[in-house]
Amino acid sequence: MKNFFTSRRLGDILSHAYIWFCLILFVTPFLALLGYSFTGPQGIYAVQNFQYVFGSFGKNLLWSFRISALTLLLDLMIALPAGYALVRYPFPGKRILFSALTLPLYVPGAVIGIALVLTYNFTYHIITSIWGLVFAMVVGTFPLMLTPIVVSLKDLPIAFEEAAQCLGATKWQTYWRVVFPLIGPGISAGLLLSFIIVFNEYLVTLFVHPPGVTTAPLRVFNLVRTAGLLPTTAALAVTMQLISFFAVLAFFRFFGTRYLKGTYLI
Amino acid sequence: MSQEQVSISQPLVAPEVRRREQNARLTMLTLILPAILLTILFLYYPLVFIVRMSFTLADSFLSPTGPIFTLENYVAMTGRYLSNVWVTIKLAGLSTLVNLIFGFPFAYILVRKVRYRDLVRGFMVFPMFGALYVAFGMRFILLPGGMATPLLNALGIPNTQALYSLPSVVFAMSIFTFPFMVMNVGTALSNVDPVLEEAAACLGARPLQTFWRILLPLTRSGLIAGGLMVFGWNIGTFAEPLLLGTIDEQKSLAWTLYQRGVVQTDYGLSTAMGVVLLILAFTVTYFSLRYSRGALVE
Repeated sequence: MKNFFTSRRLGDILSHAYIWFCLILFVTPFLALLGYSFTGPQGIYAVQNFQYVFGSFGKNLLWSFRISALTLLLDLMIALPAGYALVRYPFPGKRILFSALTLPLYVPGAVIGIALVLTYNFTYHIITSIWGLVFAMVVGTFPLMLTPIVVSLKDLPIAFEEAAQCLGATKWQTYWRVVFPLIGPGISAGLLLSFIIVFNEYLVTLFVHPPGVTTAPLRVFNLVRTAGLLPTTAALAVTMQLISFFAVLAFFRFFGTRYLKGTYLI
Repeated sequence: MSQEQVSISQPLVAPEVRRREQNARLTMLTLILPAILLTILFLYYPLVFIVRMSFTLADSFLSPTGPIFTLENYVAMTGRYLSNVWVTIKLAGLSTLVNLIFGFPFAYILVRKVRYRDLVRGFMVFPMFGALYVAFGMRFILLPGGMATPLLNALGIPNTQALYSLPSVVFAMSIFTFPFMVMNVGTALSNVDPVLEEAAACLGARPLQTFWRILLPLTRSGLIAGGLMVFGWNIGTFAEPLLLGTIDEQKSLAWTLYQRGVVQTDYGLSTAMGVVLLILAFTVTYFSLRYSRGALVE
Protein backbone atom coordinates (compact mmCIF):
# COMPACT_ATOMS: atom_id res chain seq x y z
CA MET A 1 0.00 0.00 0.00
CA LYS A 2 2.79 2.35 0.88
CA ASN A 3 4.51 1.52 -2.38
CA PHE A 4 1.34 2.40 -4.31
CA PHE A 5 1.23 5.86 -2.82
CA THR A 6 4.85 6.66 -3.53
CA SER A 7 4.64 5.56 -7.16
CA ARG A 8 1.53 7.66 -7.57
CA ARG A 9 3.25 10.64 -6.07
CA LEU A 10 6.21 10.09 -8.37
CA GLY A 11 3.79 10.07 -11.31
CA ASP A 12 2.27 13.34 -10.15
CA ILE A 13 5.63 14.98 -9.80
CA LEU A 14 6.66 13.81 -13.24
CA SER A 15 3.38 15.06 -14.74
CA HIS A 16 3.76 18.52 -13.30
CA ALA A 17 7.41 18.57 -14.27
CA TYR A 18 6.39 17.78 -17.84
CA ILE A 19 3.85 20.62 -17.90
CA TRP A 20 6.42 23.07 -16.59
CA PHE A 21 9.05 21.85 -18.98
CA CYS A 22 6.68 22.55 -21.91
CA LEU A 23 5.64 25.92 -20.49
CA ILE A 24 9.26 27.00 -20.14
CA LEU A 25 9.88 25.90 -23.71
CA PHE A 26 6.99 28.13 -24.85
CA VAL A 27 8.40 31.25 -23.27
CA THR A 28 12.08 30.52 -23.91
CA PRO A 29 12.18 32.34 -27.28
CA PHE A 30 10.53 35.34 -25.66
CA LEU A 31 12.79 35.29 -22.60
CA ALA A 32 15.90 34.97 -24.75
CA LEU A 33 14.85 38.03 -26.73
CA LEU A 34 14.00 39.86 -23.53
CA GLY A 35 17.46 39.19 -22.15
CA TYR A 36 19.10 40.13 -25.41
CA SER A 37 17.14 43.37 -25.70
CA PHE A 38 18.85 44.66 -22.54
CA THR A 39 22.39 44.15 -23.78
CA GLY A 40 24.30 47.14 -25.06
CA PRO A 41 27.70 47.84 -26.50
CA GLN A 42 29.15 49.34 -23.31
CA GLY A 43 27.80 47.20 -20.55
CA ILE A 44 25.67 44.14 -20.17
CA TYR A 45 22.67 46.18 -19.16
CA ALA A 46 21.23 48.94 -21.32
CA VAL A 47 17.86 50.58 -21.65
CA GLN A 48 18.80 52.56 -24.76
CA ASN A 49 17.35 49.81 -26.95
CA PHE A 50 13.90 50.55 -25.67
CA GLN A 51 14.39 54.25 -26.16
CA TYR A 52 15.21 53.31 -29.73
CA VAL A 53 11.94 51.37 -29.97
CA PHE A 54 9.88 54.42 -29.12
CA GLY A 55 12.13 56.78 -31.04
CA SER A 56 13.20 55.33 -34.35
CA PHE A 57 10.68 52.51 -34.42
CA GLY A 58 7.96 54.76 -33.06
CA LYS A 59 6.42 55.38 -36.45
CA ASN A 60 6.29 51.64 -37.12
CA LEU A 61 4.51 51.05 -33.86
CA LEU A 62 2.17 53.92 -34.69
CA TRP A 63 1.36 52.37 -38.06
CA SER A 64 0.66 49.04 -36.35
CA PHE A 65 -1.74 50.69 -33.93
CA ARG A 66 -3.42 52.69 -36.67
CA ILE A 67 -3.92 49.66 -38.94
CA SER A 68 -5.16 47.59 -35.98
CA ALA A 69 -7.66 50.27 -34.94
CA LEU A 70 -9.07 50.70 -38.45
CA THR A 71 -9.26 46.93 -38.92
CA LEU A 72 -11.04 46.34 -35.63
CA LEU A 73 -13.55 49.08 -36.38
CA LEU A 74 -14.37 47.65 -39.81
CA ASP A 75 -14.43 44.11 -38.39
CA LEU A 76 -16.99 45.17 -35.86
CA MET A 77 -19.12 47.07 -38.37
CA ILE A 78 -19.25 44.04 -40.65
CA ALA A 79 -19.39 41.17 -38.18
CA LEU A 80 -22.05 42.53 -35.81
CA PRO A 81 -24.91 42.75 -38.35
CA ALA A 82 -23.77 39.58 -40.09
CA GLY A 83 -23.71 37.64 -36.81
CA TYR A 84 -27.15 38.95 -35.91
CA ALA A 85 -28.57 37.97 -39.29
CA LEU A 86 -26.98 34.51 -39.10
CA VAL A 87 -28.44 33.74 -35.70
CA ARG A 88 -31.79 35.54 -35.65
CA TYR A 89 -33.10 35.14 -39.18
CA PRO A 90 -33.91 31.79 -40.74
CA PHE A 91 -32.82 31.24 -44.31
CA PRO A 92 -31.76 28.29 -46.44
CA GLY A 93 -28.08 27.47 -46.84
CA LYS A 94 -27.11 29.18 -43.62
CA ARG A 95 -24.46 26.64 -42.77
CA ILE A 96 -22.81 26.92 -46.17
CA LEU A 97 -22.86 30.70 -45.97
CA PHE A 98 -21.23 30.62 -42.53
CA SER A 99 -18.53 28.29 -43.82
CA ALA A 100 -17.98 30.52 -46.86
CA LEU A 101 -17.63 33.57 -44.63
CA THR A 102 -15.16 31.89 -42.25
CA LEU A 103 -13.09 30.30 -45.00
CA PRO A 104 -10.47 33.13 -45.05
CA LEU A 105 -9.16 31.69 -41.76
CA TYR A 106 -7.96 28.58 -43.53
CA VAL A 107 -6.28 30.19 -46.52
CA PRO A 108 -2.50 30.34 -45.98
CA GLY A 109 -1.24 33.89 -45.51
CA ALA A 110 1.10 33.71 -48.48
CA VAL A 111 -1.79 32.79 -50.80
CA ILE A 112 -3.96 35.66 -49.57
CA GLY A 113 -0.92 37.89 -49.97
CA ILE A 114 -0.10 37.00 -53.56
CA ALA A 115 -3.78 37.00 -54.60
CA LEU A 116 -4.41 40.42 -53.10
CA VAL A 117 -1.23 42.07 -54.31
CA LEU A 118 -2.00 40.99 -57.87
CA THR A 119 -5.63 42.12 -57.80
CA TYR A 120 -4.68 45.38 -56.09
CA ASN A 121 -2.11 46.03 -58.76
CA PHE A 122 -4.07 45.09 -61.82
CA THR A 123 -7.78 45.26 -61.03
CA TYR A 124 -8.50 47.53 -58.07
CA HIS A 125 -5.50 49.87 -58.44
CA ILE A 126 -5.29 50.53 -54.71
CA ILE A 127 -1.77 49.26 -54.14
CA THR A 128 -0.59 52.66 -52.91
CA SER A 129 -3.45 53.24 -50.51
CA ILE A 130 -3.45 52.11 -46.92
CA TRP A 131 -7.02 50.82 -47.36
CA GLY A 132 -5.74 47.90 -49.38
CA LEU A 133 -3.71 46.78 -46.38
CA VAL A 134 -6.59 47.42 -44.00
CA PHE A 135 -9.05 45.38 -46.07
CA ALA A 136 -6.53 42.55 -46.37
CA MET A 137 -6.43 42.50 -42.56
CA VAL A 138 -10.22 42.75 -42.27
CA VAL A 139 -10.91 39.81 -44.55
CA GLY A 140 -8.41 37.67 -42.64
CA THR A 141 -9.67 38.49 -39.16
CA PHE A 142 -13.37 39.14 -39.45
CA PRO A 143 -14.17 35.40 -39.05
CA LEU A 144 -12.44 35.63 -35.66
CA MET A 145 -14.85 38.42 -34.78
CA LEU A 146 -17.88 36.70 -36.26
CA THR A 147 -17.48 33.39 -34.42
CA PRO A 148 -17.63 34.69 -30.81
CA ILE A 149 -20.51 37.00 -31.74
CA VAL A 150 -22.46 34.09 -33.23
CA VAL A 151 -21.75 31.96 -30.17
CA SER A 152 -22.82 34.60 -27.67
CA LEU A 153 -25.94 35.53 -29.67
CA LYS A 154 -26.96 31.89 -29.73
CA ASP A 155 -26.56 31.76 -25.95
CA LEU A 156 -28.77 34.83 -25.54
CA PRO A 157 -32.47 33.90 -25.28
CA ILE A 158 -34.62 35.81 -27.75
CA ALA A 159 -36.99 36.55 -24.84
CA PHE A 160 -34.90 39.58 -23.84
CA GLU A 161 -35.45 41.24 -27.18
CA GLU A 162 -39.13 40.33 -27.24
CA ALA A 163 -39.58 41.72 -23.76
CA ALA A 164 -37.86 44.97 -24.71
CA GLN A 165 -40.08 45.37 -27.74
CA CYS A 166 -43.23 44.51 -25.79
CA LEU A 167 -42.30 47.29 -23.39
CA GLY A 168 -42.19 49.73 -26.28
CA ALA A 169 -38.53 49.84 -27.26
CA THR A 170 -37.77 50.49 -30.90
CA LYS A 171 -35.52 48.13 -32.87
CA TRP A 172 -32.50 50.41 -32.36
CA GLN A 173 -33.15 50.81 -28.67
CA THR A 174 -33.34 47.05 -28.37
CA TYR A 175 -29.97 46.64 -30.06
CA TRP A 176 -28.15 49.38 -28.21
CA ARG A 177 -29.54 48.90 -24.74
CA VAL A 178 -30.31 45.18 -24.59
CA VAL A 179 -28.50 43.09 -27.18
CA PHE A 180 -25.10 44.80 -27.33
CA PRO A 181 -24.51 44.95 -23.58
CA LEU A 182 -25.52 41.32 -23.20
CA ILE A 183 -23.19 40.02 -25.90
CA GLY A 184 -20.43 42.41 -24.81
CA PRO A 185 -18.04 39.69 -23.62
CA GLY A 186 -18.39 37.88 -26.94
CA ILE A 187 -17.67 41.08 -28.85
CA SER A 188 -14.59 41.81 -26.78
CA ALA A 189 -13.35 38.25 -27.24
CA GLY A 190 -13.54 38.86 -30.98
CA LEU A 191 -11.79 42.20 -30.57
CA LEU A 192 -8.99 40.60 -28.57
CA LEU A 193 -8.40 37.78 -31.06
CA SER A 194 -8.47 40.10 -34.05
CA PHE A 195 -6.20 42.60 -32.33
CA ILE A 196 -3.59 39.96 -31.54
CA ILE A 197 -3.60 38.64 -35.09
CA VAL A 198 -3.55 42.04 -36.84
CA PHE A 199 -1.06 43.59 -34.45
CA ASN A 200 1.46 40.79 -35.05
CA GLU A 201 0.73 40.14 -38.72
CA TYR A 202 3.77 40.38 -41.01
CA LEU A 203 3.14 37.90 -43.83
CA VAL A 204 0.18 39.42 -45.69
CA THR A 205 1.59 42.85 -44.84
CA LEU A 206 4.83 41.92 -46.56
CA PHE A 207 2.89 41.39 -49.79
CA VAL A 208 0.37 44.24 -49.75
CA HIS A 209 1.93 47.02 -47.70
CA PRO A 210 1.82 50.34 -49.58
CA PRO A 211 5.16 52.05 -50.17
CA GLY A 212 6.27 53.95 -47.08
CA VAL A 213 4.07 52.03 -44.68
CA THR A 214 6.00 49.55 -42.56
CA THR A 215 4.23 48.07 -39.56
CA ALA A 216 6.26 47.02 -36.54
CA PRO A 217 6.18 43.22 -37.18
CA LEU A 218 7.18 43.80 -40.79
CA ARG A 219 10.05 45.97 -39.57
CA VAL A 220 11.15 43.12 -37.30
CA PHE A 221 10.99 40.71 -40.22
CA ASN A 222 12.94 43.00 -42.55
CA LEU A 223 15.59 43.72 -39.94
CA VAL A 224 16.07 40.07 -39.02
CA ARG A 225 16.43 39.23 -42.69
CA THR A 226 18.81 42.00 -43.68
CA ALA A 227 20.57 43.39 -40.62
CA GLY A 228 21.14 40.21 -38.66
CA LEU A 229 20.33 40.10 -34.98
CA LEU A 230 20.42 43.48 -33.31
CA PRO A 231 19.46 44.14 -29.68
CA THR A 232 17.19 46.94 -30.91
CA THR A 233 15.25 44.52 -33.13
CA ALA A 234 14.89 42.20 -30.16
CA ALA A 235 13.61 45.12 -28.11
CA LEU A 236 10.95 45.87 -30.75
CA ALA A 237 9.87 42.21 -30.88
CA VAL A 238 9.72 42.11 -27.08
CA THR A 239 7.63 45.28 -26.98
CA MET A 240 5.14 43.84 -29.49
CA GLN A 241 4.80 40.60 -27.53
CA LEU A 242 4.42 42.43 -24.24
CA ILE A 243 1.65 44.66 -25.61
CA SER A 244 -0.17 41.58 -26.94
CA PHE A 245 0.34 39.76 -23.67
CA PHE A 246 -1.06 42.61 -21.62
CA ALA A 247 -4.10 42.75 -23.90
CA VAL A 248 -4.69 39.06 -23.16
CA LEU A 249 -4.10 39.53 -19.43
CA ALA A 250 -6.53 42.44 -19.30
CA PHE A 251 -9.14 40.33 -21.04
CA PHE A 252 -8.63 37.40 -18.65
CA ARG A 253 -8.92 39.81 -15.75
CA PHE A 254 -12.20 41.37 -16.90
CA PHE A 255 -14.00 38.49 -18.58
CA GLY A 256 -12.25 35.26 -17.57
CA THR A 257 -11.46 32.59 -20.13
CA ARG A 258 -15.02 31.37 -20.71
CA TYR A 259 -15.68 33.51 -23.77
CA LEU A 260 -12.61 32.31 -25.60
CA LYS A 261 -13.82 28.70 -25.67
CA GLY A 262 -13.84 27.15 -29.10
CA THR A 263 -11.83 30.02 -30.49
CA TYR A 264 -8.10 30.34 -30.87
CA LEU A 265 -7.03 31.16 -27.35
CA ILE A 266 -8.17 27.93 -25.69
CA MET B 1 -34.65 28.60 -31.51
CA SER B 2 -35.42 31.08 -34.23
CA GLN B 3 -36.61 28.33 -36.53
CA GLU B 4 -39.44 27.43 -34.17
CA GLN B 5 -40.59 31.02 -34.40
CA VAL B 6 -40.96 30.71 -38.11
CA SER B 7 -42.74 27.38 -38.10
CA ILE B 8 -45.40 28.99 -35.93
CA SER B 9 -45.90 31.85 -38.34
CA GLN B 10 -45.84 29.78 -41.50
CA PRO B 11 -49.41 28.40 -41.51
CA LEU B 12 -50.79 31.94 -41.39
CA VAL B 13 -50.84 33.48 -44.82
CA ALA B 14 -52.59 36.75 -44.11
CA PRO B 15 -51.15 39.50 -46.38
CA GLU B 16 -50.00 41.40 -43.31
CA VAL B 17 -47.84 38.46 -42.20
CA ARG B 18 -46.49 37.89 -45.68
CA ARG B 19 -45.42 41.51 -45.96
CA ARG B 20 -43.69 41.29 -42.60
CA GLU B 21 -41.85 38.19 -43.72
CA GLN B 22 -40.69 39.93 -46.87
CA ASN B 23 -39.50 42.84 -44.75
CA ALA B 24 -37.60 40.44 -42.52
CA ARG B 25 -35.92 38.89 -45.51
CA LEU B 26 -34.90 42.32 -46.76
CA THR B 27 -33.51 43.28 -43.34
CA MET B 28 -31.59 40.04 -43.15
CA LEU B 29 -30.09 40.65 -46.57
CA THR B 30 -28.96 44.19 -45.77
CA LEU B 31 -27.44 43.00 -42.51
CA ILE B 32 -25.37 40.28 -44.07
CA LEU B 33 -24.56 42.00 -47.36
CA PRO B 34 -21.39 43.82 -46.16
CA ALA B 35 -19.87 40.55 -45.01
CA ILE B 36 -20.68 38.82 -48.29
CA LEU B 37 -19.34 41.73 -50.33
CA LEU B 38 -16.14 41.81 -48.28
CA THR B 39 -15.37 38.13 -48.77
CA ILE B 40 -16.23 38.22 -52.46
CA LEU B 41 -14.18 41.34 -53.20
CA PHE B 42 -11.17 40.54 -51.06
CA LEU B 43 -11.06 36.76 -51.03
CA TYR B 44 -13.07 34.89 -53.64
CA TYR B 45 -12.45 37.20 -56.57
CA PRO B 46 -8.67 37.39 -55.89
CA LEU B 47 -8.54 33.60 -55.59
CA VAL B 48 -10.33 33.16 -58.91
CA PHE B 49 -7.96 35.75 -60.33
CA ILE B 50 -4.86 33.81 -59.34
CA VAL B 51 -6.34 30.52 -60.53
CA ARG B 52 -6.82 32.12 -63.97
CA MET B 53 -3.40 33.67 -63.84
CA SER B 54 -1.74 30.37 -62.96
CA PHE B 55 -2.60 29.13 -66.46
CA THR B 56 -0.68 31.92 -68.17
CA LEU B 57 2.98 32.14 -69.06
CA ALA B 58 5.22 34.14 -66.66
CA ASP B 59 3.97 37.77 -66.64
CA SER B 60 2.19 37.57 -70.00
CA PHE B 61 -1.19 38.04 -68.28
CA LEU B 62 -0.59 41.78 -68.33
CA SER B 63 1.23 42.17 -71.59
CA PRO B 64 -0.46 44.36 -74.21
CA THR B 65 -0.47 41.47 -76.68
CA GLY B 66 -2.72 39.48 -74.40
CA PRO B 67 -2.11 36.54 -72.09
CA ILE B 68 -0.48 33.39 -73.40
CA PHE B 69 -2.34 30.44 -71.96
CA THR B 70 -0.23 27.48 -71.02
CA LEU B 71 -0.07 24.50 -68.68
CA GLU B 72 3.64 24.94 -68.27
CA ASN B 73 3.42 26.23 -64.70
CA TYR B 74 1.69 23.08 -63.55
CA VAL B 75 4.14 20.95 -65.51
CA ALA B 76 6.88 22.71 -63.57
CA MET B 77 5.02 22.10 -60.33
CA THR B 78 4.96 18.36 -60.96
CA GLY B 79 8.52 18.34 -62.25
CA ARG B 80 11.11 20.86 -61.27
CA TYR B 81 9.20 22.15 -58.24
CA LEU B 82 7.81 18.85 -57.01
CA SER B 83 10.52 18.72 -54.35
CA ASN B 84 9.25 22.07 -53.01
CA VAL B 85 5.79 20.53 -52.54
CA TRP B 86 7.33 17.55 -50.77
CA VAL B 87 9.42 19.71 -48.48
CA THR B 88 6.32 21.70 -47.50
CA ILE B 89 4.35 18.54 -46.77
CA LYS B 90 7.29 17.00 -44.91
CA LEU B 91 7.76 20.03 -42.65
CA ALA B 92 4.04 20.27 -41.86
CA GLY B 93 3.79 16.50 -41.35
CA LEU B 94 6.78 16.29 -39.02
CA SER B 95 5.63 19.18 -36.87
CA THR B 96 2.13 17.65 -36.70
CA LEU B 97 3.68 14.39 -35.53
CA VAL B 98 5.73 16.17 -32.86
CA ASN B 99 2.60 18.00 -31.71
CA LEU B 100 0.58 14.77 -31.53
CA ILE B 101 3.24 12.96 -29.51
CA PHE B 102 3.92 15.77 -27.06
CA GLY B 103 0.46 17.35 -27.11
CA PHE B 104 -1.53 14.34 -25.95
CA PRO B 105 0.24 13.86 -22.59
CA PHE B 106 0.22 17.62 -22.08
CA ALA B 107 -3.53 17.85 -22.69
CA TYR B 108 -4.16 14.79 -20.52
CA ILE B 109 -2.24 16.15 -17.55
CA LEU B 110 -3.78 19.58 -18.05
CA VAL B 111 -7.34 18.25 -18.03
CA ARG B 112 -6.94 15.62 -15.28
CA LYS B 113 -4.38 16.92 -12.83
CA VAL B 114 -3.66 20.61 -13.20
CA ARG B 115 -5.47 23.14 -11.03
CA TYR B 116 -3.50 26.20 -12.13
CA ARG B 117 -5.01 26.22 -15.64
CA ASP B 118 -5.22 30.00 -15.98
CA LEU B 119 -1.49 30.18 -15.44
CA VAL B 120 -0.94 27.56 -18.14
CA ARG B 121 -3.18 29.54 -20.50
CA GLY B 122 -1.16 32.65 -19.77
CA PHE B 123 2.04 30.90 -20.73
CA MET B 124 0.48 29.28 -23.76
CA VAL B 125 -0.49 32.51 -25.47
CA PHE B 126 3.12 33.41 -26.12
CA PRO B 127 3.68 31.10 -29.11
CA MET B 128 0.43 32.35 -30.62
CA PHE B 129 1.74 35.86 -31.10
CA GLY B 130 3.38 34.63 -34.22
CA ALA B 131 5.85 32.24 -35.74
CA LEU B 132 8.07 35.22 -36.52
CA TYR B 133 8.93 35.91 -32.89
CA VAL B 134 9.39 32.22 -32.13
CA ALA B 135 11.76 31.80 -35.07
CA PHE B 136 13.60 35.02 -34.18
CA GLY B 137 14.04 33.91 -30.57
CA MET B 138 15.18 30.42 -31.55
CA ARG B 139 17.67 31.86 -34.00
CA PHE B 140 19.14 33.95 -31.25
CA ILE B 141 19.27 31.01 -28.84
CA LEU B 142 20.99 28.73 -31.33
CA LEU B 143 23.47 31.31 -32.58
CA PRO B 144 27.13 30.67 -31.66
CA GLY B 145 27.51 32.10 -28.16
CA GLY B 146 23.74 31.94 -27.59
CA MET B 147 21.91 30.31 -24.71
CA ALA B 148 21.99 26.82 -26.18
CA THR B 149 25.76 26.77 -26.75
CA PRO B 150 26.71 24.88 -23.53
CA LEU B 151 24.02 22.27 -24.20
CA LEU B 152 25.08 21.84 -27.81
CA ASN B 153 28.74 21.60 -26.80
CA ALA B 154 27.88 18.89 -24.31
CA LEU B 155 26.11 16.98 -27.08
CA GLY B 156 28.97 17.58 -29.46
CA ILE B 157 26.96 19.41 -32.13
CA PRO B 158 28.49 22.47 -33.83
CA ASN B 159 26.34 25.59 -33.46
CA THR B 160 25.88 26.30 -37.12
CA GLN B 161 24.73 22.75 -37.71
CA ALA B 162 22.04 23.16 -35.08
CA LEU B 163 20.98 26.63 -36.22
CA TYR B 164 20.42 25.79 -39.86
CA SER B 165 18.79 22.39 -39.75
CA LEU B 166 15.55 20.51 -40.22
CA PRO B 167 15.03 19.78 -36.49
CA SER B 168 15.21 23.45 -35.51
CA VAL B 169 12.64 24.40 -38.19
CA VAL B 170 10.31 21.61 -37.09
CA PHE B 171 10.82 22.58 -33.46
CA ALA B 172 9.88 26.22 -34.08
CA MET B 173 6.83 25.19 -36.13
CA SER B 174 5.75 22.78 -33.39
CA ILE B 175 6.01 25.40 -30.66
CA PHE B 176 3.93 27.81 -32.74
CA THR B 177 1.07 25.34 -33.22
CA PHE B 178 1.27 23.39 -29.94
CA PRO B 179 -1.54 25.39 -28.26
CA PHE B 180 -3.94 24.59 -31.11
CA MET B 181 -3.26 20.89 -30.70
CA VAL B 182 -3.67 21.02 -26.92
CA MET B 183 -6.93 22.92 -27.36
CA ASN B 184 -8.42 20.27 -29.66
CA VAL B 185 -7.21 17.24 -27.71
CA GLY B 186 -8.06 18.85 -24.38
CA THR B 187 -11.66 19.43 -25.47
CA ALA B 188 -11.98 15.80 -26.53
CA LEU B 189 -10.39 14.57 -23.30
CA SER B 190 -12.59 16.66 -21.05
CA ASN B 191 -15.58 14.89 -22.57
CA VAL B 192 -14.22 11.51 -21.45
CA ASP B 193 -15.45 10.56 -17.99
CA PRO B 194 -12.52 9.71 -15.66
CA VAL B 195 -14.71 6.93 -14.26
CA LEU B 196 -13.98 4.93 -17.41
CA GLU B 197 -10.27 4.93 -16.68
CA GLU B 198 -10.87 3.96 -13.06
CA ALA B 199 -13.13 1.13 -14.17
CA ALA B 200 -10.47 -0.12 -16.58
CA ALA B 201 -7.86 0.01 -13.80
CA CYS B 202 -10.20 -1.84 -11.42
CA LEU B 203 -10.71 -4.54 -14.02
CA GLY B 204 -6.96 -5.06 -14.16
CA ALA B 205 -5.90 -3.02 -17.19
CA ARG B 206 -2.40 -1.67 -17.13
CA PRO B 207 -1.97 2.06 -17.88
CA LEU B 208 -0.80 1.36 -21.40
CA GLN B 209 -3.80 -0.87 -22.06
CA THR B 210 -6.11 1.84 -20.73
CA PHE B 211 -4.48 4.32 -23.09
CA TRP B 212 -4.71 2.12 -26.19
CA ARG B 213 -8.17 0.66 -25.65
CA ILE B 214 -10.05 3.38 -23.76
CA LEU B 215 -8.51 6.82 -24.16
CA LEU B 216 -7.27 6.65 -27.71
CA PRO B 217 -10.53 5.40 -29.31
CA LEU B 218 -12.58 7.93 -27.33
CA THR B 219 -10.44 10.93 -28.26
CA ARG B 220 -9.77 9.89 -31.83
CA SER B 221 -11.86 12.64 -33.42
CA GLY B 222 -10.14 15.30 -31.32
CA LEU B 223 -6.73 13.97 -32.25
CA ILE B 224 -7.58 13.88 -35.94
CA ALA B 225 -9.15 17.35 -35.89
CA GLY B 226 -6.19 18.78 -33.98
CA GLY B 227 -3.67 17.07 -36.22
CA LEU B 228 -5.34 18.29 -39.40
CA MET B 229 -5.69 21.81 -38.04
CA VAL B 230 -2.02 21.98 -37.11
CA PHE B 231 -1.06 20.54 -40.48
CA GLY B 232 -3.21 23.11 -42.26
CA TRP B 233 -1.65 25.98 -40.32
CA ASN B 234 1.88 24.77 -40.88
CA ILE B 235 1.48 24.18 -44.59
CA GLY B 236 1.91 27.91 -45.14
CA THR B 237 5.08 28.13 -43.05
CA PHE B 238 7.16 31.15 -43.99
CA ALA B 239 9.43 32.66 -41.35
CA GLU B 240 10.68 29.44 -39.74
CA PRO B 241 12.41 27.89 -42.79
CA LEU B 242 13.74 31.28 -43.76
CA LEU B 243 15.33 32.07 -40.42
CA LEU B 244 16.24 28.59 -39.19
CA GLY B 245 16.46 26.28 -42.18
CA THR B 246 19.02 25.22 -44.73
CA ILE B 247 18.57 25.67 -48.48
CA ASP B 248 16.46 22.51 -48.41
CA GLU B 249 13.93 23.78 -45.89
CA GLN B 250 13.83 27.15 -47.62
CA LYS B 251 12.24 25.41 -50.58
CA SER B 252 8.93 25.58 -48.69
CA LEU B 253 6.16 26.72 -51.02
CA ALA B 254 5.14 29.93 -49.26
CA TRP B 255 8.65 31.33 -49.35
CA THR B 256 9.34 30.22 -52.94
CA LEU B 257 6.02 31.75 -53.96
CA TYR B 258 7.07 35.09 -52.50
CA GLN B 259 10.41 35.04 -54.29
CA ARG B 260 9.04 33.99 -57.68
CA GLY B 261 6.02 36.28 -57.50
CA VAL B 262 7.10 39.48 -55.81
CA VAL B 263 10.85 39.47 -56.35
CA GLN B 264 11.13 37.90 -59.83
CA THR B 265 7.59 38.78 -61.08
CA ASP B 266 7.05 35.32 -62.58
CA TYR B 267 3.34 35.62 -61.81
CA GLY B 268 2.31 32.45 -63.63
CA LEU B 269 4.55 30.14 -61.63
CA SER B 270 3.99 31.96 -58.38
CA THR B 271 0.21 31.77 -58.65
CA ALA B 272 0.43 28.10 -59.61
CA MET B 273 2.29 27.54 -56.33
CA GLY B 274 -0.42 29.50 -54.55
CA VAL B 275 -3.09 27.28 -56.09
CA VAL B 276 -1.26 24.12 -55.02
CA LEU B 277 -0.90 25.50 -51.50
CA LEU B 278 -4.57 26.47 -51.49
CA ILE B 279 -5.67 22.99 -52.58
CA LEU B 280 -3.53 21.39 -49.87
CA ALA B 281 -4.90 23.72 -47.20
CA PHE B 282 -8.54 23.31 -48.26
CA THR B 283 -8.37 19.53 -48.42
CA VAL B 284 -6.97 19.43 -44.92
CA THR B 285 -9.49 21.97 -43.63
CA TYR B 286 -12.39 20.05 -45.13
CA PHE B 287 -11.48 16.90 -43.22
CA SER B 288 -10.61 18.84 -40.09
CA LEU B 289 -14.04 20.49 -40.03
CA ARG B 290 -15.70 17.13 -40.62
CA TYR B 291 -13.99 15.69 -37.57
CA SER B 292 -14.37 18.68 -35.29
CA ARG B 293 -17.42 19.46 -33.27
CA GLY B 294 -19.69 20.48 -36.13
CA ALA B 295 -20.82 23.84 -37.34
CA LEU B 296 -21.76 26.66 -35.03
CA VAL B 297 -24.87 27.93 -36.74
CA GLU B 298 -28.11 25.91 -37.04
